[in-house]
Amino acid sequence: MLNYILRRLLVMIPTLAAISFLIFFIIELPEGDYISNQISMLRSTGESASIGRLEFLRKEFALDRPFVERYGIWVGFWPGPNGFDGLIQGNWGWSFEYDQPVGEVVGPTLPLTVALNLATILFIYCVAFPIGIYSATHQYSVGDYTFTLIGYLGLATPNFLLALVLMYLANSLFGLTVGGIMEEHYIGEPMSGGKALSIVAHLIVPVIVIGTSGTAAMIRRLRANLLDEIYKQYVTTARSKGMRESKLLVKYPLRVALNPFIADIGNLIPSLVSGSVIVSVVLNLPTVGPVLLGALQSQDQFLAGFILLFVSILTLIGMLVSDVLLGYLDPRIRLGKEGARQ
Amino acid sequence: MRKLGLLTMVVMFISLTVPAVSGALVLKETPGIPPGLPSVVDRVPKEPLVTYPDDIGRVIGVQGGALHTLISRPKDVRLINVWGYARLVGYNENLELNPDILESVDNHYDKVFTLNLREGHKWSDGSSFNAEDFRFWFEDVALNEELNPIGLPGFMLVDGEGPEFSVIDETTVRFEWHEPNPLFLQELAKARPPFIYRPAAYMKQFHEEYGNPEFIRQIARIEKVRGWAPLFNRMDDMYGASNPHIPTLQPWVPRNTSGDRRAVMERNPFFHRVDSAGQQLPYIDRIIMDVVDGKLIPAKTLAGESDLQARGLGFSDISVLKRGEQTQDYDTRLWLNSKGSEISILPNLSVKDAVWRKLMQDRRFRHALSLGIDRELINKVLYFGLGRAGNDTVLNISPLYQPDFQTAWAEFNPELANQLLDDIGLTDRRGDGVRLLEDGRPLQLIIETTGESAEQDDALELVAETWKEIGVSAFIRPSQRDTIRARALSGALMMSVWSGFENGVPTADMPPIDYAPTREDFLSWAPWGNYYESDGHAGVKPDWPPAIRLIELFDQWLVSSSFEERDMIWEQILQIHADETIHIGLVNAVRQPVVVMGLLNVPEMGIYGWDPGAQFGIHRMDLFFFEDLLPDEDDLPH
Amino acid sequence: MSPGERGEDKAEHYVNPKGFDPKDVEILTREQERYYQAPQWKIIWWKFRKHKLAVLSAIILFFFYLCVPFAEIIAPYPVAKRNVDFLFAPPQAIHLFHEGKLVGPFVYGLNPSVDLENLKWVYETDTTKVQKIRFFCKGEPYKFWGLFPASFHVICPAKDGTLFIAGTDRLGRDQYSGLVYGARLSLTIGLVGVSISMVLGVLLGGLAGFFGGWIDSSIQRVIEIMRSLPELPLWMALSAALPITWSPVWIYFGLTVILGLLDWPGLARAVRSKLLSLREEEYAKAAALMGASPSRIIVKHLLPGFTSHLVASATLSVPAMILGETALSFLNLGLRRPAVSWGVLLNEAQNISVVTIYPWLMAPVIPIIIVVLAFNFMGDGLRDAADPYK
Repeated sequence: MLNYILRRLLVMIPTLAAISFLIFFIIELPEGDYISNQISMLRSTGESASIGRLEFLRKEFALDRPFVERYGIWVGFWPGPNGFDGLIQGNWGWSFEYDQPVGEVVGPTLPLTVALNLATILFIYCVAFPIGIYSATHQYSVGDYTFTLIGYLGLATPNFLLALVLMYLANSLFGLTVGGIMEEHYIGEPMSGGKALSIVAHLIVPVIVIGTSGTAAMIRRLRANLLDEIYKQYVTTARSKGMRESKLLVKYPLRVALNPFIADIGNLIPSLVSGSVIVSVVLNLPTVGPVLLGALQSQDQFLAGFILLFVSILTLIGMLVSDVLLGYLDPRIRLGKEGARQ
Repeated sequence: MRKLGLLTMVVMFISLTVPAVSGALVLKETPGIPPGLPSVVDRVPKEPLVTYPDDIGRVIGVQGGALHTLISRPKDVRLINVWGYARLVGYNENLELNPDILESVDNHYDKVFTLNLREGHKWSDGSSFNAEDFRFWFEDVALNEELNPIGLPGFMLVDGEGPEFSVIDETTVRFEWHEPNPLFLQELAKARPPFIYRPAAYMKQFHEEYGNPEFIRQIARIEKVRGWAPLFNRMDDMYGASNPHIPTLQPWVPRNTSGDRRAVMERNPFFHRVDSAGQQLPYIDRIIMDVVDGKLIPAKTLAGESDLQARGLGFSDISVLKRGEQTQDYDTRLWLNSKGSEISILPNLSVKDAVWRKLMQDRRFRHALSLGIDRELINKVLYFGLGRAGNDTVLNISPLYQPDFQTAWAEFNPELANQLLDDIGLTDRRGDGVRLLEDGRPLQLIIETTGESAEQDDALELVAETWKEIGVSAFIRPSQRDTIRARALSGALMMSVWSGFENGVPTADMPPIDYAPTREDFLSWAPWGNYYESDGHAGVKPDWPPAIRLIELFDQWLVSSSFEERDMIWEQILQIHADETIHIGLVNAVRQPVVVMGLLNVPEMGIYGWDPGAQFGIHRMDLFFFEDLLPDEDDLPH
Repeated sequence: MSPGERGEDKAEHYVNPKGFDPKDVEILTREQERYYQAPQWKIIWWKFRKHKLAVLSAIILFFFYLCVPFAEIIAPYPVAKRNVDFLFAPPQAIHLFHEGKLVGPFVYGLNPSVDLENLKWVYETDTTKVQKIRFFCKGEPYKFWGLFPASFHVICPAKDGTLFIAGTDRLGRDQYSGLVYGARLSLTIGLVGVSISMVLGVLLGGLAGFFGGWIDSSIQRVIEIMRSLPELPLWMALSAALPITWSPVWIYFGLTVILGLLDWPGLARAVRSKLLSLREEEYAKAAALMGASPSRIIVKHLLPGFTSHLVASATLSVPAMILGETALSFLNLGLRRPAVSWGVLLNEAQNISVVTIYPWLMAPVIPIIIVVLAFNFMGDGLRDAADPYK
């Protein structure tokens, strides 16, 4: 097992290299850079006094070098204006928009990003699990159709609009502040019971909104898996032996059908991050989402690049974790996978 | 209003009167001031700036309270230094220039400026504000090549030469030019002023020549910058409010513990203004800015989460805000936007294509385009008819206003427009009625927009429709600022849409920069502006008589030394704009919603603008206070 | 077995004198016979037909897709037509009876006025003005496909009347007509995107699955990289890179390419694993032994084996692309006016004024939900039907 994990980690290195290059390429695609945009902004408001300072930044961050060199400097295998100083050396870059190191911009948003995504995963599991089982055991019943329809409705409603409407309702019906992660007066205060409650209350809407889109897919997969299992010989055998229906279900088919829950962690992470980006923008949640959007729009390239890279790494780790878990739970998969790789 | 601009006189007058009055004033201690600070008498300058609220239609207020407002990005924290609007000299609500931080200015024919500081004036950390702060800036910052590779800022240069600077005594400094520099004081009063002084005591520790090298190295490592110059530039943030440690002279000081999503500003206990009752200003203790997505600002304002809000609110939000007044205790005031025009169509007079350039420079063509626009309809559709249909020029509250500037060639008259176009010789038409140029191409105008404003796009659609009637086809192409600027400079741009003149309420003392081809980012004549800006080293020499005349007039303004002279120059400039329809303005005097919750001393009606105006700045935000802090009627000692 | 041994074990040759009648063993009804002799696509159709919801979805989608070629005819107003007297007009209810008498479908006239106190438009329904809706009529002139001038509509307002089934927006543009025209872009963006992703997916997945070896592992790596990139942020980054100066048509194609480019790995994976298993089948080996080229084997022998699967999974990724377009347009990274798509319409509906005062501007959500649901149900039906012999 340890060997397997090690090998997987080794494979991740070239993958990461490729990803970082791809990301750098993408964020450098738009014409111009942050500095030239800012200069024209300042000119338009007549604030030309600080243009000199911006030109200074352009040199400092090697924005005047050719593309490949800039990439090398960013990653840290090419000497920049101040020697080797890039991602590898632990310098995550500089955010022009915030005028701070990237780490300090992204850092504070991480706990909430993780919390939101974890809560959403939990929500998806809690909703999808019972519904999936019910739908599979009561195939083609009214309940099956209703639940499936609700699940699909969640999938079909554009996230941002649902968020907007729910946010407005939460405000007018329950008096929650519009958007944000807590009542404003708690910001910057130490953690307390009231603050925690406020955070939980504000998490409900985003979790539902992001979760709905993931739930439908999960229900569909669980239902299909269970249906496959239920009609297998061993189930029929057990049933013919007089085993109780509920016990029968829990004992065997369910365990097999659980696989997607684990296997999907890897897939779920990128899709949740996607979902949380747009919902966070609408609901004004301080996750990495709005930061990323802002960075992309203002061409704050190092910030955007780092966040994209960071999310990709998260996904890679998520995939690894789900593979390891699966292998742990189901020896067939582990052996099959390793066999295929050799 | 004509006397507004009598700058020198006003300055002299105030410098004489202020000391006489404040002698009788008894200062009251501010409640809740942190312990350990000196008493109020020692905190304010010997001669503080005394404000008489009654004289400007306000009332004496009560100190205290925290004001919540919303900003859309962390960077907007800088607005605290705009709204606070403590300047060496600043505009008042009537756009008169008065000394503020300075006790007085002696202005000798715009050539020699002697700045008199207030004795005993202190920075927000309690250190003394004196002539050394000016000297430090001029000699060690502005002229330091590592900090400022391009040298002195443009407004300090007359014919490329900087001033002579001298320290007269502890509270007096002098800037001296050989030729007049009428820009100097105007520049100091801007929303984003050039801060020609620095807290020397604090900043010196980061300066190579004064600081401890080991200390500088350590701090640089913590701040993740390399070398002293970037460190100095990073710490030296008088405007952005990003460094809570740098002392300031503004009414509110950023508190250093506020996070990314929320910024808290505390009152400056050493602020130099007091009211006539002897209370130190500002009235409000604390300003709290919450960062929220721009799109959420109307919703959060509607939910009563802001005490004072204009940023992030637009005309289209008024309906919903008014509706919310029924359930929330706020008040939506409609201030006046001070731009020359809300939306202005800018033909590029220096477009490269020879055929088009000839047409653009033909005044009849621009008149025809202007006459082919139904401005009243646009006003009705976009602004409920609340704006004023007319040209892009000065507003009627400016002392320079003349009705003709506003209305010349601005009525909707398609017949006359068609007549004019026929006169030019554009008589051939395509099958669908679009006229043909002399070389047979269709008369199709490509108007580039920034795509940032839905209102601009909507207005253009309406314009394009009525232009069809005069045989002009318009194609709207969304683009972005940068691209449009670059295309204007290269002459590829044909026409663009922008908001009108930034300063729609000038006095004769304000420089007519916007109104002549003086800068490369003016989209009507970018190459000419570039030529002027670069002293003929780049760009294109203007070949269009009105533009040449406008530059002459602007140059005359720069060397003018009397108010009357400037007034005359302005009038000629505005007349040229009215006669030539250089900008095709659509609607001006559009309202800006300002939501006020529980605050007193906020004017019912005011102008809302950046320069001049500093948004709330000229309306004296330090006088705003909370109504619920007023003692009950019965308790008042009558 | 060597030939020598063969003779010794050989059983005596025997032929059943009765002959073989297959029907003797298993008697097939006519239906069964039809079933077993039917070509694959026919069986798929039969199975699909049984899935009622899927069939219904297919019909609904068909009607929606009619908007793509015939938007000008279906919509009562041209998309850019502004009715400046009716700004933010609420939807007009369609009535049948006027004062107890059957008149046929009609709307009551609207009297606009402006409320300067609250700064909003107020509309009074004037029940004396009966405006009968006309069908198959001549109305607002337009250019069909931007080429041929015409004025025929399926539905028109009464002469001098108005017909705002879903209200109007801030410039008085009819929202219902906007929806019809918006379908043109929103519905095709998914199809074009999926086609791109299918071509890429089949090509790369096919290469990987058939050749194996280093081709397989390098394509696998690419797939892994693509899958570890979060979709929406990547869409955002790429569409932020689309030059804003492009014309709407180019932006549209740019978007479809972006959506398609990021979608293929899933398909490629499926194709690869299917090919891996099918390649081991006897008939594939037989073809190879007979000297068929790899491309011929893939295209002629293997692909037909799972085309139906491909179609089904493609159907299921169309809705994701439709939603993707709306999300991008919502974030101002996608299409912009004058192009009209459902996402563009929703982008204009994202402020609090709309939610509280002009809720009808959120109407584009309804077709989006219906279309996405329909695609999902149809995809489910297709997938179930795709394996007819199961």
